[in-house]
Amino acid sequence: MISKPLLRSLIIWAIFIIGMLLLPKIFALLGFSKGNLRTLIQACYLAIFAMSWDFISGRTGYISFGHPFLVGIGAYTTAILSYRFDVPVMYSIPIAVIVTMIGGTLFFLPALRIKGSYFALVTLAFMELMYQLVQVIRPDLTGGTRGISGIETLTRGAVNGYYLAVSLMLVIAFVLWAILKTRIGTALSAIAMNEESVKGSGLSTTKLKLFAFMVSACVAGIGGAFLAHYNGSIAPRALFDINFLFTIIVAALIGGSSTIIGPMIGAFFLTLLLEKLRPWLPGAERYFVYGGIALLLYMYQPKGLYAIFWQVVDRFRTRRGGQS
Amino acid sequence: MNAHLEISNLVKKFGGLTATNNMSFDVARGESVGLIGPNGAGKTTVFSLIMGEHRQNSGSISFDGTELTTLPTHQRINRGISRTYQVPRPFSEMDVRGNIRVGLMPNSIWQMLTKRYDPDRELELALSVGFAESDLDKAPSELSMGDLRKLELARTLATNPEMILLDEVFAGLTVGEIAQITDLLQQKREAGMSMVIVSHDLRSLQPLIDRAVAITYGSVVAEGKYDDVIADEAVRSAYLGL
Ligand SMILES: Nc1ncnc2c1ncn2[C@@H]1O[C@H](COP(=O)(O)OP(=O)(O)OP(=O)(O)O)[C@@H](O)[C@H]1O
Ligand SMILES: [Mg+2]
Repeated sequence: MISKPLLRSLIIWAIFIIGMLLLPKIFALLGFSKGNLRTLIQACYLAIFAMSWDFISGRTGYISFGHPFLVGIGAYTTAILSYRFDVPVMYSIPIAVIVTMIGGTLFFLPALRIKGSYFALVTLAFMELMYQLVQVIRPDLTGGTRGISGIETLTRGAVNGYYLAVSLMLVIAFVLWAILKTRIGTALSAIAMNEESVKGSGLSTTKLKLFAFMVSACVAGIGGAFLAHYNGSIAPRALFDINFLFTIIVAALIGGSSTIIGPMIGAFFLTLLLEKLRPWLPGAERYFVYGGIALLLYMYQPKGLYAIFWQVVDRFRTRRGGQS
Repeated sequence: MNAHLEISNLVKKFGGLTATNNMSFDVARGESVGLIGPNGAGKTTVFSLIMGEHRQNSGSISFDGTELTTLPTHQRINRGISRTYQVPRPFSEMDVRGNIRVGLMPNSIWQMLTKRYDPDRELELALSVGFAESDLDKAPSELSMGDLRKLELARTLATNPEMILLDEVFAGLTVGEIAQITDLLQQKREAGMSMVIVSHDLRSLQPLIDRAVAITYGSVVAEGKYDDVIADEAVRSAYLGL
């Protein structure tokens, strides 16, 4: 039998999935341009990265400042394999994901010993290091500072691109949700609350964290690889960039960290917001705006937009309940 | 006879401070030992060393003949030894049920993923330490000190230990709660569980132990029958200030 909360979750999922799949139609009806759809595609990929980030940082409390490192491994691996060595995409992408997971283990090593801001700084160093390395090591492969362009694309047209991106996002979201529904989810959040007590409960936190890092890296690798094939290019300056990093983190935080839907909501909200601001604030000032929004939201409701949504729903319900 | 737990010559230094200084004592299977000593004597430290939360500078800790020193905490627990904390350490954003759930988890990613938790086991354990069914969805912040100690105990027992190390189980409890926990511990003793109990509340401690070990400045100064240990000159001067 299906329990009531599970049923509620499944209904939310169904509505969400249908809404996401219908979005291009709705956009077409509203008379938005193809450009808007491309924005949504970027939002899907951002959502994937934000979910990947949240799987480690939102759950275990190990704040990663290096997620672009993982995304970059995925993107570069598939790009180099397919563009330089003509490896078919159906092999290059899975290989890229595996390589990213191996990179994830590197990333994991500092988490064995250090916590808090030190961990964040070490992961930030990974990102910086990667930026330096792609310029120095085999620039004939990585394309150095200019990156790689002309990477094979998988879809034609914005609509197809959207369906690919949104399907990826939804499948990833659903799998992560299912994983976190199990006792693993409980154990990972317990790490954030009190890692010593998790050990004191007879659990290997090393094993749990490694698992979380592997899953997170896998998701980041999938996102990075597909994004490279969507954009058809990699620009290292934009990829290993602190703004990109903060966009990922802020998306997760404002949407609602430690939920699955939250980072997706945050990613769409942020991407659309930045896009709307573009005419007025063309440059990097836009990032101040979202910094400000994140701060305001954090003061009002640290659990993010998703929690605000439920507050509104509950208020609406109690009001209606009061009348009848 | 081979000791269940054998502590020999444990030295642990925190910087210039020697918290345990050549400490040695044994606990036999099924035995209950009271560990007493003044504040700062090293009682909590020896628990942390036994559990692998700190690593000793020298000396050995063996459990059923196996040297524990190189093992991580969770492996020591899986061998059957578990502790409570003097300052309760619940998972602050989980209710009582959730806290117990973590304690009951198997140390296997695969089993965590594929097997559901067992609500009956959780309830049973909660009731066994004296919680009411209505306490199960309380947050730790709503619990009294007595309830927090029960929760510590439940999480410790959830790991299915053969030996438990209890750090100040009675501190901050009401008379009624002390009686409740005493009952529970007596049951466990009768069922054959070994224990080491640290308590400043000697009157509550006495009926629960077969033997007392007194430490000051990180070393054992007396051990044996409770009455003899309490009567010991060194113990009286260090501990009771007499
Ligand atoms: N992590 C630590 N770092 C530095 N010093 C410590 C640490 N833990 C304990 N100590 C010191 O080691 C000594 C022994 O402390 P411990 O907590 O083991 O005493 P205790 O017998 O449990 O005392 P109490 O009855 O107050 O709980 C104390 O002087 C204490 O200050
Ligand atoms: Mg102590």
